Amino acid sequence: MRPVPVVDDRDTGPFWRAALNGSIAICVCNQCGEALHLPKAYCHHCGSWDINWRQVAGKGKLYSWTVVRLQVHPAFPVPYAIVVVDLDEAPGVRLLGYLDGDPHLTAGQPMQAYMENIADVTLPNWKPN
Amino acid sequence: MDLAEIDGVICSDYDEVIPTDLAHSLGLDGITYWGTVGSAGAAPCAMIGHAMAAIIAGMASNVLVFRALNGRSGPRFGAASPSAPAKACGGNGTYDEFISPYGLLVPGQMWALIARRHMIEYGSTAADRGAIALACRRHANANPAAMMYGRPLTMDAYLGSRMLTDPLRINDYSLESDGACAVVVTSAERADDCPQPTVLIRAVAQGTTSEAQPGNFYAAVLRPAVLEQPSRRVAELLYRRAGLGPGDIDIAQFYDCFTISVMIQLEDYGFCARGEGGAFASSGALEPGGRLPITTAGGNLSEAYIHGMTHVLEGVRQMRGTSTSQVAGAETCLVTSAIPTPTSALILRAS
Repeated sequence: MRPVPVVDDRDTGPFWRAALNGSIAICVCNQCGEALHLPKAYCHHCGSWDINWRQVAGKGKLYSWTVVRLQVHPAFPVPYAIVVVDLDEAPGVRLLGYLDGDPHLTAGQPMQAYMENIADVTLPNWKPN
Repeated sequence: MDLAEIDGVICSDYDEVIPTDLAHSLGLDGITYWGTVGSAGAAPCAMIGHAMAAIIAGMASNVLVFRALNGRSGPRFGAASPSAPAKACGGNGTYDEFISPYGLLVPGQMWALIARRHMIEYGSTAADRGAIALACRRHANANPAAMMYGRPLTMDAYLGSRMLTDPLRINDYSLESDGACAVVVTSAERADDCPQPTVLIRAVAQGTTSEAQPGNFYAAVLRPAVLEQPSRRVAELLYRRAGLGPGDIDIAQFYDCFTISVMIQLEDYGFCARGEGGAFASSGALEPGGRLPITTAGGNLSEAYIHGMTHVLEGVRQMRGTSTSQVAGAETCLVTSAIPTPTSALILRAS
């Protein structure tokens, strides 16, 4: 069975709750505005504990990818691609995505988020736009 | 030195053998200092540093630093563990919830993402990585103790080898090995009384980053910078402590879990400019008689994967003049431990 994420963690739960509503949200500091990715409760930029979540458009650019040809897990038959996507509205904040097969990919190409339901979890995923 | 003189033991946080196990197995009756140092392959140089610090502080006199691993017959680092169906992944600071659901499960996949990014930003090529694989293999072919002894590798064979995680091929990957090795750290005065030539520790450094560094380390691909690793700041601190620079280094035992990790360290340790690790590797610098012989026993790629402790041993051999690929007249040797985790490195000197 494909690994599903823990969705009720104190630091990362809001990301998955946003996904349930069809959106992508990133953790930001309310005081200095810096993105805190991966999400955490404390801003090391300004020392604030005042953390919030900002909804961003599900658009990004392809930062890197690998096509996996050696199978290591029963839920992930090969080939498949792992993509790293840089968010348009929060450059430097990156998320992973999964693509079945051996897709033709180009560095920097536009990527579009979509929501994928696995078991009872909603997983943000990415495809070429 | 007799075993009875060992009063300290340092082990790796990934080892299944803890210091008291070793004391029991070897009958060490006088252990008064021990420590466990992490993380994983990033540890060996730091382990030497912990032993050195203990000796300087008067906490121990002769410290055994070891790594033992059944990476071939035991648990395999390159194998993903199939999650139990009912168990969700991540949480509790691991951030695995952002990683495993997308099929990123083993180190070779993460390093492929980093290698691809290096190709995109700097134009490095498969042949550049091949030059690193070939340098390590050539040294392994001179080392009868290496797993790849007697198995030469050509560039054509490298470029034709099986793709595992595009763009990385099987010859970009380290080996899986069963083995163990150890060094004894002691004072220079005591070492001078031993039959083997003394090797001096010029400097040791550890360094990390404030970016997410959870247990499975794959979140390293989500850092703002993936092509500059903690090795960059470790290099600066190490050179400052040593009073030396990259131009003073004769040999480098780079931690080579994958060819791409060597390419990035060539840049981070200042042997070439940022982005030019690929061109430097292909320039002939790593060839016999070149500017910088690397991993002269064969490394993780072609000697054995003992999580970087073999790199320390080979540095010692080079400084004693006993390597199977001895570099004539070498006086300094850089040894590094793993990235992208917090990392460590040291510089050895011939006495």
